[in-house]
Amino acid sequence: MTDFTAPFAAAPPVLSLQGLRKQFGQKVAVDDLWLDVPAGSMLGLLGPNGAGKTTTLAMTTGLLRPDAGSAQVLGADVWRDPAAAKGRMGVLPDGVRMLDRLTGAELLRYTGLLRGMTEAEVVARTGELLDALGLADAGSTLVVDYSAGMRKKIGLACALIHAPRLLILDEPLEAVDPVSGETIRQILRAFVDGGGTVVLSSHVMELVESLCDRVAIVADGRLLANGTLDEVRAGETLQQRFLSLVGAHELGSETLAWLRSS
Amino acid sequence: MVALLVGLRWRQLGHQLGRNPWMIVSLIISGMIALGLLAALAAGLVALRIAAPDAAVRTLVVVGSGIVLVWWIGSIVVSVDDSLAPERFALLPVTARSLLPGLVVAGATTIGGIGTTVALLLMLVGWSVSPLALVAAVVLIPLALATCVLGARVVSGVLAGWLAGRRTRDLVITLGVLLVACSGLLINVLVRAFARLSDPSAVLPAIADATGWTPLGAVFGVSAALAQGDLLAAGLRLLIALATAAALWFAARGLLAARLVAPIQSRSGGRVRSGGLLDRVLPASPVGAIAARTLRYATRDPRQVINTVMMVLLPALLIGMTLMNGRGEGSFALGPAAILIPAINALLIGTILQLGIAYDNDAIALHIHSGVPGRADRAGRLLGFGIIAVPVTIVLCVAASMLAGRMDLIPASLGAALGLGTAAAGLGVWVGAFLPGRAPAPEANPFGRGSSGGVQSMVAMMIITPLSLAIGGPAFGLAIAAIWTPWLGWLSLAFGLVCGSLAMWGGAVLGGRILERRWPEVLAEVASEA
Repeated sequence: MTDFTAPFAAAPPVLSLQGLRKQFGQKVAVDDLWLDVPAGSMLGLLGPNGAGKTTTLAMTTGLLRPDAGSAQVLGADVWRDPAAAKGRMGVLPDGVRMLDRLTGAELLRYTGLLRGMTEAEVVARTGELLDALGLADAGSTLVVDYSAGMRKKIGLACALIHAPRLLILDEPLEAVDPVSGETIRQILRAFVDGGGTVVLSSHVMELVESLCDRVAIVADGRLLANGTLDEVRAGETLQQRFLSLVGAHELGSETLAWLRSS
Repeated sequence: MVALLVGLRWRQLGHQLGRNPWMIVSLIISGMIALGLLAALAAGLVALRIAAPDAAVRTLVVVGSGIVLVWWIGSIVVSVDDSLAPERFALLPVTARSLLPGLVVAGATTIGGIGTTVALLLMLVGWSVSPLALVAAVVLIPLALATCVLGARVVSGVLAGWLAGRRTRDLVITLGVLLVACSGLLINVLVRAFARLSDPSAVLPAIADATGWTPLGAVFGVSAALAQGDLLAAGLRLLIALATAAALWFAARGLLAARLVAPIQSRSGGRVRSGGLLDRVLPASPVGAIAARTLRYATRDPRQVINTVMMVLLPALLIGMTLMNGRGEGSFALGPAAILIPAINALLIGTILQLGIAYDNDAIALHIHSGVPGRADRAGRLLGFGIIAVPVTIVLCVAASMLAGRMDLIPASLGAALGLGTAAAGLGVWVGAFLPGRAPAPEANPFGRGSSGGVQSMVAMMIITPLSLAIGGPAFGLAIAAIWTPWLGWLSLAFGLVCGSLAMWGGAVLGGRILERRWPEVLAEVASEA
């Protein structure tokens, strides 16, 4: 990032969530959520279990229709101009199946062609992505037989294949071994250095602290904090800040006392 | 431990029912089927008891052996999804010796176990021909039940290691569903074969006496021998029955002990050959990619392999039966009509295409977030499925015409089958966009919930069937007329191709438009648990 960015500071954000809301029965999963993600940033979306992270990302990627509000990718509304918005996004959803009766290589080719890429591009990038993510040996194994970590990696490869401007990753490093994890971090850093924008959700504070430059914290469907890593941390560790925002659950000294072996 | 395991089984069932109203419906339906079977058994036994007390005893041995056999064979299919699988206890400090009694009792108190118990109690009506036999039968009910449950455990335990591989599991599931689908026909064939025997009444006693000495029927043979006053045979059969149960007990315990320390883990299926030809032949576009994927799933996904096989099997069996019956009556009255049979596949084609997204389940999310045009999704599925269905239809039509001895009717046969099939295909992709239906999850037991697509599929069927008859009607009518005026067959073929192409084009365009409007709702419908 050089001085060139300065004149574009007022440019519209890459991703803009405007008043998203989703209610399931009585439970409000996401409540009036506003969030702007500037270009070239890597945003970590943090929150306890059930905070509404996955629901928010599903509404951002066109998988779940919001009750109110809108999501815009580079100015294109996900719900009014889906073709334009989705073309600029690469998505790694969490908790949905993949077309797992395809091999890794077939799934990549399939995703690339669905995205409207040319055959030559798809073939070249498939090989490169499988190599980079250490899946070259598993290229002709069905995805249904992959381990959890391998599925994450092939899912990430699918999200990357069309060189999107914005990556939406739900739990990208869950179940991934440390070696592959480092590879994924390198890929994401290079992607951001090249002008791309990443939104990733995670439970792991250390991951977000070491990888992201922006942090958003949600709990109970509401946005509690949003800003650069240092703004959100406000001098504490991210873990302390997160607990003080979300509310820690303190155990009394006598709880589970019978667990002491001596 | 026994009470704990039985309670666990029932609590699991209760939670499943509470979470999923469709489970209640299927439970009620299977309960009604069981009640119906039991009522038939009761009526038959009472009738036999009154009319032919001697035959009643022998029938009981055969019926009882049949029940045991169903338990043993059925365990192959049911074990694919066992809520009390030994692996689940592998982390707990329990021994096989302490677990097995509870698992056996839990197995006997399932819906099937209760039904079997009621059936065994009903059989007492038949045994009442002799007081001695009645007493023996009452005493032996627990032994008969134990033989069923233990045998099922041993069979599934022996097969479990083998079933852990994905390919064998897929194969067993496929064969099982096909067997169930064809069971009506098989029973029909068996009954006919039995009826053709010169003297059916002479065979039953022979079968009954023979099975009475086997591990399957010995427990019922004891009472039968007593009813006939043969105490020696009764004693020997009792020994066989006891030895069977004991052997099964020790075998089941051995298997359980082995699995507690060496849990079976589902193995993967290894590499597959990636059909590069498919990718080269089909265009490198969203439509071509979806078509290639549809074709790959037709051979790799057991649920869809079944569909493909049924498309060949159903008309083939019908053609065979029609021609055989026609010949048997010494006339060829039905002969030429056999050329219309391949058109029956239109029913399957409409439903298969309507359920396309339901088979994908929530994996369809990829189509949504990658922004595939709805039209491409619809057209790709049509193209991929057509690459299988069109050759199959042509082979069936040519075969039917040749077997009927009317080669001149090939165009008419093709006109009828392709006309109705393409109309149903176009309607299927259109209806599937707003009534996607439900299919068992990719990894679930295909005998489970909604294996036929549920209520949505029934509604879809009611829309697809009359409309495909309307669109394919001219082609079908002309094909019928061609039986007397063969050149009309060419007209039928032309009508079929033109109307069918229009239906498929319309189905893809309209269905695609609906999909783009309601993708998230479609995703929620096919992914929902209920």
